[in-house]
Amino acid sequence: MDYKICEDMTIEEKLTILTDAAKYDVACTSSGVDRSNGKTGMGNAVKAGICHSFSSDGRCISLLKILFTNECIYDCKYCLNRSSNDIKRASFTPDEVCTLTMEFYRRNYIEGLFLSSGILYNPTFTMELIYQTVYKLRNVHRFYGYIHVKAIPGAAPEVIQKTGFLVDRMSVNLELPTAEGLSRLAPNKSRKTILAPMRQIQTGITRNKNELALYRNAPQFVSGGQSSQLIVGATAENDYQIMSVAEGLYQKFELKRVFYSAYVQVNQDKELPALPGGPPLLREHRLYQADFLMRYYGFKAGELLSEERPNFNVFLDPKADWAVRHLEQFPVEVNRADYGTLLRVPGIGVKSAKRIVQARKNARLGFEELKKIGVVLKRALYFITCDGKMMYRTKLEEDYIVRNLTYVKEKLPVEVGAVRYEQLNLFDMEQDTSITYGQISKMDTKALYG
Amino acid sequence: MEEKILICEDSLEGIFTAVYQAYAWRLDKEHVFLQIGEEENLRLFAEYITVAPEPEKAEKVASTVIRMMGEEGYWDLCCMLASNDREKGQAVYRTIVTALKNGQGRNVLSNVKEPYIQKAFEIARNVNYEIHHMYGFLRFAELENGILYAKIGPKNNIATLLAPHFADRFPLENFMIHDAGRQIYVLHPAKKGCFVVTGKECEELCLPEYSKEELYFQSLFVEFCHTIAIKERENLKLQRNMLPLRFQEFMVEMGKK
Repeated sequence: MDYKICEDMTIEEKLTILTDAAKYDVACTSSGVDRSNGKTGMGNAVKAGICHSFSSDGRCISLLKILFTNECIYDCKYCLNRSSNDIKRASFTPDEVCTLTMEFYRRNYIEGLFLSSGILYNPTFTMELIYQTVYKLRNVHRFYGYIHVKAIPGAAPEVIQKTGFLVDRMSVNLELPTAEGLSRLAPNKSRKTILAPMRQIQTGITRNKNELALYRNAPQFVSGGQSSQLIVGATAENDYQIMSVAEGLYQKFELKRVFYSAYVQVNQDKELPALPGGPPLLREHRLYQADFLMRYYGFKAGELLSEERPNFNVFLDPKADWAVRHLEQFPVEVNRADYGTLLRVPGIGVKSAKRIVQARKNARLGFEELKKIGVVLKRALYFITCDGKMMYRTKLEEDYIVRNLTYVKEKLPVEVGAVRYEQLNLFDMEQDTSITYGQISKMDTKALYG
Repeated sequence: MEEKILICEDSLEGIFTAVYQAYAWRLDKEHVFLQIGEEENLRLFAEYITVAPEPEKAEKVASTVIRMMGEEGYWDLCCMLASNDREKGQAVYRTIVTALKNGQGRNVLSNVKEPYIQKAFEIARNVNYEIHHMYGFLRFAELENGILYAKIGPKNNIATLLAPHFADRFPLENFMIHDAGRQIYVLHPAKKGCFVVTGKECEELCLPEYSKEELYFQSLFVEFCHTIAIKERENLKLQRNMLPLRFQEFMVEMGKK
């Protein structure tokens, strides 16, 4: 095999360069696969996934997330590794990646490997390098831990196919929500070449499921499913467009997850937006909230947003926002409502909805029990009844609920949103008695909806 | 009716033996309390009975629990037993009583109306969380003789509950998990089952130095954790929320830098 190895570079230097280059990739999940060790090697996989550490930005470190190489023939404008950037380049050898993975894994530093790569020479060559690395890990080092690799768009389907039989998850990054944005910022990539491997992996997974149903011991193909990633804020798409794209990926490509990455300004380019306020983190947060609503709560993108309201409410999370606009469906009787209806109540999550359904078989539930089950009553109280009674005397009125919900601080990542809530305190009723309820709610909703 | 308080040892055997005795003596279930160790304040009008642990009786209770509550229910009970909560004895007792009485042992913890079941649920959840945290946050270091050594300081007594996970993960490794606060060692010789060493025997264990490569890989990992962070998104508060300080003490990548 012959490719540029920087012989003079130590593993430490390479690790630093290639970690730094990989850090903008979001996915670090290790969940979805349960695999026991056959007593012949090292490692297993745990269904729930395990976080091994947290970096200073608060993100989970679960996998050894590195690029194989940061040399790249492409020139994507948003990417640190674009070919026109003058940065230090480095490449691992498959053996180096194996050593790092095995030694880190033994010490319980990581749950597995996440291997991505810049495009060295051509896509197929790069994919082949990834395949060789993973092959060595599985067959020479007998590694049974979690492996996530990127499928390189444009690589030969056979290489992607054989890699798929060795890994737990594969992902192809969609990069930008629209084809137009993609061609502007990533001139060497096209929607078509990105979607082709995605479709291939989807077909592979489906076929594999059928095989496994017939032959229990058939080799598994990407058993943890495939995922993708979108960059948010580098192009002008609105939230509705992004959610629609994500919905399409879930429905048409059966993706396990779509990740959203708030655009971090790493390059200066006239095509790229300036972000004086830093990366759009609140927006990213809202997108993730909505994404969970689509995957676990049975919401559709069209229910949360529309052409007329294409962006998420800054002040309310998407579920509360949906609920206050659909008050005709509330209040919900906790002791009777079905699971799907419970899920739509703000303050009730998947776990508490399941517990409610289980617990009410034994006894009728009151607010005290709901609290113990883990329902967030300060959000839920406007939308539920227990045995026909509400918790307090509340009004089922949009303005009233919105005001009270925004007054209850939402748990946001620290860097986003805090200031706005301080401002809302100006409207605190206790401090200013001269304003009547009606006036406040009008002022508030104006501030909220603009 | 007079209350009976069974005082038992803080161990699986101790508590299960007390449960066995409560049934064997046909005590009124509403007026029996399990207490771990002596308490300073004695209650009036209550009879205190000390129950010494007996392995055979504990074994019987364990097999009944597994039959009635399933492996998962048994795991939850084991979690409760490992807890540092003072009321765990009573929580375990009431859980078993409810499970046997209603014949719906597998779902017993969803019975939220019963106060002690609620308590039991909380204790079990708490310990389960700590176990799951420890799966991730535990750090092994390689010693000169190739043994992997991990030092932990958990709130609850979970060292033994960690063993199955790591034994499945590293079947070919010799490793040991050391609960520094309680002086408990869980040892796993390669390709064999785990065993526990406690008390006096530990003092004789003297650990060799780190292996030659150990510090090298530690520094690589520290560097990795440092580099993977995106500085535009720095959020130390979130980091601390996700990774509480009491775990950080034992983790190579925290501390320095």
